[in-house]
This record gives sequence, structure tokens and C-alpha cells, in this order.
Amino acid sequence: MFKTGKNHLFSQEQLRKMLYEMLLIRRFEEKVEQLFQQGKIHGTMHLCIGQEATAVGACAILTNEDKIISTHRGHGHCIAKGTEVDRMMAELLGKATGYCKGKGGSMHIADLDKGNLGANGIVAGGLPLATGAALTSKMKELGYVVVCFFGDGSTNEGAFHESLNLASIWNLPVIFFCENNQYAMSGSIKEMTNIQHIAERAASYGIPGEIVDGNDLLAVAEVTKKAVERARNGEGATLIEAKTYRWRGHSRSDARKYRTRDEEKEWKTTKDPIALFKNKLVEENMLTEEIFLEIEEQVKKEIEAAVEFAENSPIPGEETLETDIFA
Amino acid sequence: MATKVVMPKLGATMEQGTIVNWFVKVGDRVEYGEPLVEVLTDKVNIEVEAEMDGILLKTCFEADEVVQVHDVIAYIGEEGEVIEDAEGGMLQQASALSKSGAQETAEKFVSKKQPETEPQTKIRRTPAARKLAKENSLSLETVQGTGPKGRIQKADIEEHLRYSLQKTKATPLAQKIAHSNRLDLSQIQGSGINGKIVRDDVLKYANVEKDVSVHAVNKTAFTGMRKVIADRMVQSAYTAPHVTLTSEIDMTNCVNMRKELLPIIEKQNGYRLSFNEIIVKAVAHTLQNHPAINVSLQDDEIIHYSTVNIGFAVAIPNGLVVPVVKNANQKGLAAITEECKTLGSLAREGRLLPDHMKDGTFTISNLGMYAVDAFTPIINQPEAAILGVGRIQEKPMAVNGEIKLRSMMALSLSFDHRIVDGAPAAEFLTDVKDALENPYKLIV
Amino acid sequence: MREITYAEAIREAMSQEMRANQDVFILGEDIGIYGGAFGVTNGMIEEFGPERVRNTPISEAAISGCAVGAAMTGMRPILELQFSDFVTIAMDNIVNQAAKMRYMFGGKAKVPVVIRTPGGSGAGFAAQHSQSLEAWMAHIPGLKVVQPSTPYDAKGLLKAAINDDNPVMFYEHKMLYGVKGDVPEETYEIPLGKADIKKEGKDVTIVATAMMVHKSMEAAKLLEEEGISVEVIDPRTLVPLDEETILHSVRKTGRVIVVYEAVKRGGYGAEIASMIGESDVFDYLDAPIMRLGGRAVPMPYNAFLEQKAVPQVEDIIQACKTIMNK
Repeated sequence: MFKTGKNHLFSQEQLRKMLYEMLLIRRFEEKVEQLFQQGKIHGTMHLCIGQEATAVGACAILTNEDKIISTHRGHGHCIAKGTEVDRMMAELLGKATGYCKGKGGSMHIADLDKGNLGANGIVAGGLPLATGAALTSKMKELGYVVVCFFGDGSTNEGAFHESLNLASIWNLPVIFFCENNQYAMSGSIKEMTNIQHIAERAASYGIPGEIVDGNDLLAVAEVTKKAVERARNGEGATLIEAKTYRWRGHSRSDARKYRTRDEEKEWKTTKDPIALFKNKLVEENMLTEEIFLEIEEQVKKEIEAAVEFAENSPIPGEETLETDIFA
Repeated sequence: MATKVVMPKLGATMEQGTIVNWFVKVGDRVEYGEPLVEVLTDKVNIEVEAEMDGILLKTCFEADEVVQVHDVIAYIGEEGEVIEDAEGGMLQQASALSKSGAQETAEKFVSKKQPETEPQTKIRRTPAARKLAKENSLSLETVQGTGPKGRIQKADIEEHLRYSLQKTKATPLAQKIAHSNRLDLSQIQGSGINGKIVRDDVLKYANVEKDVSVHAVNKTAFTGMRKVIADRMVQSAYTAPHVTLTSEIDMTNCVNMRKELLPIIEKQNGYRLSFNEIIVKAVAHTLQNHPAINVSLQDDEIIHYSTVNIGFAVAIPNGLVVPVVKNANQKGLAAITEECKTLGSLAREGRLLPDHMKDGTFTISNLGMYAVDAFTPIINQPEAAILGVGRIQEKPMAVNGEIKLRSMMALSLSFDHRIVDGAPAAEFLTDVKDALENPYKLIV
Repeated sequence: MREITYAEAIREAMSQEMRANQDVFILGEDIGIYGGAFGVTNGMIEEFGPERVRNTPISEAAISGCAVGAAMTGMRPILELQFSDFVTIAMDNIVNQAAKMRYMFGGKAKVPVVIRTPGGSGAGFAAQHSQSLEAWMAHIPGLKVVQPSTPYDAKGLLKAAINDDNPVMFYEHKMLYGVKGDVPEETYEIPLGKADIKKEGKDVTIVATAMMVHKSMEAAKLLEEEGISVEVIDPRTLVPLDEETILHSVRKTGRVIVVYEAVKRGGYGAEIASMIGESDVFDYLDAPIMRLGGRAVPMPYNAFLEQKAVPQVEDIIQACKTIMNK
């Protein structure tokens, strides 16, 4: 059913970099969770632990000029697109040095210079915006593509359907990348949709629909590459459905009563995207345990530095309250 | 609850007032509208009226004390009522209570003692009417509202002010009689032209009202006004670097013009034209062409006025006041004469209102009735300059190569060198001279 | 000067800006060959082609978001929203996305999008096609709100809106599209946030918007014959609001009536009235501030009822007399 990834796209260096990024995402999320428990982060946050392969696999194909639009569960997308973790951490701590000067927080991290058009707190909010960003590329002949991430929950919003239709009729260079992590908050996709695969919906709009194992980094990269090439060649939009799993609850206040611990255990033990990828690299002699430990150590240092930077940063002054409203 | 009486703000620039005299003793009953306290502000004495009926429970300041505007000066309330002091804790009658729990006990005490009273009916008035009345120290009680439900509107206040100003018109003889008999001219109905009060009106009123006692001017006011004048003179002399320019004016043409215009104006409005008004007119006319002089320095800002309002110093028994002819540059000599004479009378009667003296942009001090040739006047702050006027004297002058007797007069212009320089001041004085030497230009 | 209609003035502003700047384009439902529901884009597709006059599916959520996405990546889109009532189905992209993007991102994004949309009653379109919902948008920080009443203003304000780097809601009035007025052929800009004194007067200030400007002018003319001198001020933009011009006028007259077509309750006129009441000009008020607004009913279909639902010339005249105590 799933396409299995083979390595014919990346060098050893690139592969190790992808492993590094997946680990960086996971450790970042774990640190955020810890800081939240310590009361250093307020508000809420949505962790993408278990979904690292979709973000890293898709972004590995993109250039700096290509755009992504992310979701409320967006830390992974940001890191995979090159957003720096120190300023991300500062943003989560509400500091003036954060990507949004402490005004956006977890759900609104944007880094326009790196092609990150922003996380979005509205379910399916990013899809219409992605069509617009893709329209700019087309009208100004800029050559970039737009990858719009969204969850399974978004696919029952009107904006999903309207956007796929618009992108299709205007032949826009956009990849609609659905991370089907099985749950829209508490709502299981099996209860909320009467079709087996979300990708089937592509047929309604006359665009290709691809299904991929979202925990297989190389498979994700491969399917994204195909969609990006289509888009760059002027052949229009693609809908990708990457099947994955959200290890944590929807947000911090989720007791996860709607699913079993056994189910969670199965995904964590047999389908951990990082373990799968690491084992594959070791098998193929691209990685040793020593190098893996070195990577782990580097990641740890980067996270520690990020926390230090964030904690030592000032909070925004009241004089910034009413700035940045209008250009 | 007792009602607080505060130091009223009686003019836009008033920041503090001096208590001159309490008309009511603590413990006595006072009625709405009855004079409560005399307050000195900005060279004028104002009787502040009670705004409610009740017992004067407490006065917070004695005579001659200086009080900030809006500070509480007294309390009026019900008999036996208690007054919280400024800190809001202790109560006069509850002072025997121990400090701890005094607040709570006192509150109970008050609420037991204090019967539920009807909320006081407020006078229905618009904000604009309230503002105008306040600026003119006018009690709204005396004004008839013509708006919906009797609401007092701005037009009602304007009408009232017009009416009361009109009523003060009186012949000099009538004024003299009224003054010596301590009669309030505003209470007398005039039977002359335009309601002017004539001798017979005053005599008739005096007969009818013989027994009515009229409140005498309180002599303690003398100290207060003296102090205000002193403060202001010191403040002006020591903050503004004064420079005085003098110039001699050939007033011969003015003398002739006055002779011609005097009967005309007198016939028109009953007032006799004097040189003072011609000088007011000439200065106002010239000032509108010299905006750099028509300024004032206030709080580190130079204010440029679009209107020309000429103040003229009037000597009164207790000191000196400066009523203001507003928009003098837009008024003709007849109107200026009438206004100067009216304001002068009011000044001498001590009945100038703050509104009569505010918004001046330039002052004239005329000592021409004395044997004074020239002098160095002190600027009426925050204005930028003042013109001192000396006497007119016939002097032999060279005119076209011949010695002739001409009517000469010296003008002394003191200006504040912080905001005005010598050259513009000299230009201004030169133009005033030109206007007075060729007074027919004023008609153009 | 040349006379053209309000619709033509809007079209001319769009066409001139599109000629001058390749980044400007228009998208919307039926704006192509059809020329838009009110004919505003008539002939534009012939000049600019379907790439820059983009006829869209009936998908308000997608097209409003598409306009925002294009704006934040470098285009200057004009979205024609066929009726302003349909803002309800484009709301997320305007309120949650366009308005907040820059702030949420700490000052990084620019969203130069203009959403043109006709509001107002009088055409017999009933409850779902006749509303005046501009107050909703004025409430949202990050949006500018424009409401032109004349062809001249419409052209100049639209140019300013297109060249503004922020999202602008541009409320047209469907009953004004056919109204003619003097409009110069050359381009000109009326800055957003500058009110216009449509008529000077000394007794009463009327602050009116959109169609109500015209009704107020008519009322003012009739009142002049009865000796009541009315000053009519059109704020033209609700956000930013030219408070100074309004306050200056009220200070002069001491009486003010705010006239707007939207439902009186919670309408933008309430904001204007409060602004005056809170200002220093309070001391100059010589009568309570009055508001004339629409009745709190869904817009009825029947022409008589429809008229009764919003202020008319006679209502304005009556209000002026009441405030003058005459």
C-alpha cells in the first residue's frame, strides 16, 4: 500500500542532516513540554512528536525560495524549513527576540526570509493563503512552489475543498500536504470521514492524490519530489496524504480518552520515524552508533543554547503593544 | 452626605484663588444662591454663591489663605452632620472614638443619623452653557432655559450676559449717585435711550429700596489685591527682560479729529470720545499688521494670536485693573468708546467679571491725565509688550522749516526681549506713530 | 470637468493602477465577460486579459484567502466581493488572516489587499443582500475601512487603498453606482483618514456616510430655506477616522447628528458619537449628540418597508429641527 523509500535522492551528508533535523524537532518538542510544565511557557502548544518525518521529508526537497505554510502543530515544519530554534524558543517564551517579537507565540511562527509563510491557528486557514502564494509565483513567474501542510481535520472544512478546486482550475504550483495523524483533536478520522483515504478527494478536483507512509522519511521525500516537479513544470497541484501518528495529545490539556494506550504503544514502538530512519542508515552503512551519539550530543547543545538565549532575552516593552498593526 | 464646596475655577488661566471673606459663619444656615465666600482671583473679587441649602458645617481656609482651584474650601450639609477630614478617616464628632474601627463605626453612625434625602434636582443645562456660565462666573440658577424641558443652552447664557451688560449702562451722574448710595446698578431699570439708567431711575430706586441694606465692600480685599498686583509685577519685572522704546508723536491731527468726532459719537451712543480710545484704535489697527508683537510666552511656547484684544489699565481705589476690548481692530471708534467707557465704569465700581479681563493680547497704560511725559511701563504678563501713554502738550516744533506749536505726546513701548527683538518692536512703534499722526488712515 | 458615474470612477481607478503597476490585479465572481454583478469591471477583461482580471468560482473562502496569500507574497490584489453580505463566508481570511498577519508575525508581513464590496439597501434585494456591515470590520485592528460617497472620492480613495500596504475594506454603495459627478481623468489620490466637508454650515454638524451623505445634503438644502445652517461632513474613511475635522466642526456648531444607514445599534455612528462625547469638544455641545441609523430589522423586501428601515431626508430634517429646539 505505502511506497517505501529508497535512497537514491540524497548524499550521506544530506541523510545525516535530515536525521539531525528530526532529532532537533523531537528534542525541541520535549524541551518545550518540559518548560511548559515548569511554567516558563504559558498559553498552549501542540506538539508534533512522532510526525518528524513528514516535515523533514517534504522540506528536504524544497529550495530556500520555495514556500511552506504551516499549522498550529507547526514547530517541526519551521525547523525543517530552516527556522532557527533559538528565536523559536524565544517566541515560545514570549520574548522580544522571538520570531514574532513575542506577539505571535507557538501558533504563529513565521520566517518569510526562509520561505516560511507562517503557522496558522485556524484549521484549514492556510489552504486559501497557499493558493494565493502560488498565484503570485505563477503571475510573476518566480518559479517557486508552495507546500501547504494541514491535518486530517482540515479536510472537512469548506476552505479545503474550495482551495483544491481553485488551485486545480488555475493550475497553481501548490502541494497540499495532509499530515493524517489520525485525530482531529479528539475526532478520529475514521469517525469523521466515510472514505478510506483522504487522498481520494483529489479526484473530485481533477488533481493527483498520493498516499505515503508519513513515518518513512525517504518515502515522504520521494512523493514530495514528484509533486514538486509537477508543480514546477506547470502541471499544477497535488494532494499528498501522509499517514502518521500524533504521539502526544492534541494540546497540553488532553487526557487522550478517545484512544487506547495500546494503540499509542504500537505506533511508538514499531513506527517511530526517527528509529526507523536511523536503523535504515546503520543498515546501509551510512551511520554508526558513535556518529549517532555525536549527532545526539550536537542536538542537545543546540537546544540548550536555544533555551539559554530565550531565557536571557528581554520581554517586549509595552511600547510595542500597538506597533506592527499597520505597515 | 455633606456637599463639598470647592475653590471654583473662575477663568481659564486661574490656578488658585485667595479667600477674602466668609459671609456665613460656621454653623449658620445658608441658602441656595446666597453669597458664601468672597474669593480674589486675577485682580477681581468674586462672590461665590452657595450651591445648595444647608448648614455651613466647616470652612477649611481662613481669609487671605491661597487655595488651589478645585480644592475643598467648605462643607454644607444638614444640622448635626459630621465631616470627614481630608484624609477621609477621622470624623469631627466621632473623634472620641478610638482610631481602630473608627471608620466602620463612623459609617454606621453616619448612616443612622443621615436620613435618605431626595437626590438634589440638577439644573438641566448643556455642556456649552455650563462652560460659558462658568467662564463668566454666572450662576445657572439665575438663567432661564429655553431648551427642551427648560434646558439651559448656550444661547440662553449669551442672552443673559448681553442683558446684564446692557443693564449696566448708566449716565455718569446716575453712576455717581448709585455709587455713593451703594446701590447695585444692575438691579435698576433704566428709562433712557437703549435702557440707559439716568439720574431719576437711581433716585426712584433709592426711594423704593431705601431700607434694603446693600452689602458693603469688604476692606480685607485690599490686602489680597495688593498682593496679586505685587506678585504679578515682580514676576513680570524679574522674568521678562524689559526694553523700553520711546517716541514722540505729533497729536495735532488727532486733536482735530477728536473735536470733529466727539459730538457725532456722543449723539450716537451718549459716550464722549477721548484720546484713550483713539490710541486703542490706532494700536489695534497697527497690531494686526504686526503679528510678531501680538504674542505671548506661556509654558515654553510662543502663542500667536489671531485676534487683537487690547487691555487698558484702569486705576481704581484699591489698585489697578485691566479690562479688555476684544477684537478691537474690527471695531469702530464709536463702539470702542462705548466699550471703554462701560468697562471703565464697571472697573471703578469693582464689578468687572473675569470675562471682561481675560484674553488680552496687548495692554495700554495711559497716564496722560497726569503731568507725566514718559515712563517705563511693566508688561502685563504673559503678553509681549505694553504701551505707556504720556500727556499731550503743545510744543514748538519745526514744520516745513517753520516753528509751529504742535500737540506733542510721548509713547513708551516696553517689550519682552525674550520673544520680541528690538527691530520689530521699533517698527511697530513707528507704525503706531504713523497711525496717530495720520489718524484718518484708521478709517480706511 | 468631466462627469462620470461612481461605478465608472471605480473602474477608472482600477484600470489606471493596473496599467501603472503589473502587481495589481483583480479577482472575483463574475467579473470577467459578465463585468461584475453591478457592471463595475465592464470591459476590463478585454483590456487586461483573464490573467489579471481573474474570474473565480463562487468560493468566497478560497478567493478571499487567495487574495491575502497573493498580497503577502508580493502582489497587490483587488478582490471584488459580490455583495458585502458575503463577508460572512470570507470572514476568516479577512479577520483572522489579513488583519492579524503583520502583528502575529512581529511586523514581518505586508498584506496590501483591497476588498471592494457593495453594501447598502434601496434596491429591493432584501435581507441577505442589503446590509451595511462596515462596523464589523472597523472593529478589527489591522483593517482599514473606506466608504466613499461620490465618484470623485471613490476614484481617489481607491487609488490610495490600492497603494496602501495594508488590508483595506472598500465599501461601495450599490445605489450610488449610477450617481454621476465630476471626476478628473488623470490619477489622483485622496489620503485615507481625511474627512471631507461636503457643505459648510454653522448651526448643526451632520456626520454622514455613504448614501446618507446625499440624503443629508438634500436635507441641508431644504433646511437652509428655513434658516437652519447645516454643515455636512463625510468621514470617507472609518479607519483611520479623521477625528480632527469632525471635532473642529462640532466645536463650531455645538450640535451634531451622526447619520448612517447601518443598524443604529452597534453601528459605526456609535463610535463617532462616543468619540465626540469623550473629547474636549464635550464642553461645546449645546444639545445631546444624536444618531440616526437603520432600524434593528433584517432588511425587508417591500419597497415601502425598506424605505422605513433606514433614515430618509425627512428624518434628517426632523432631527435637525429637534436638535435646534425648533
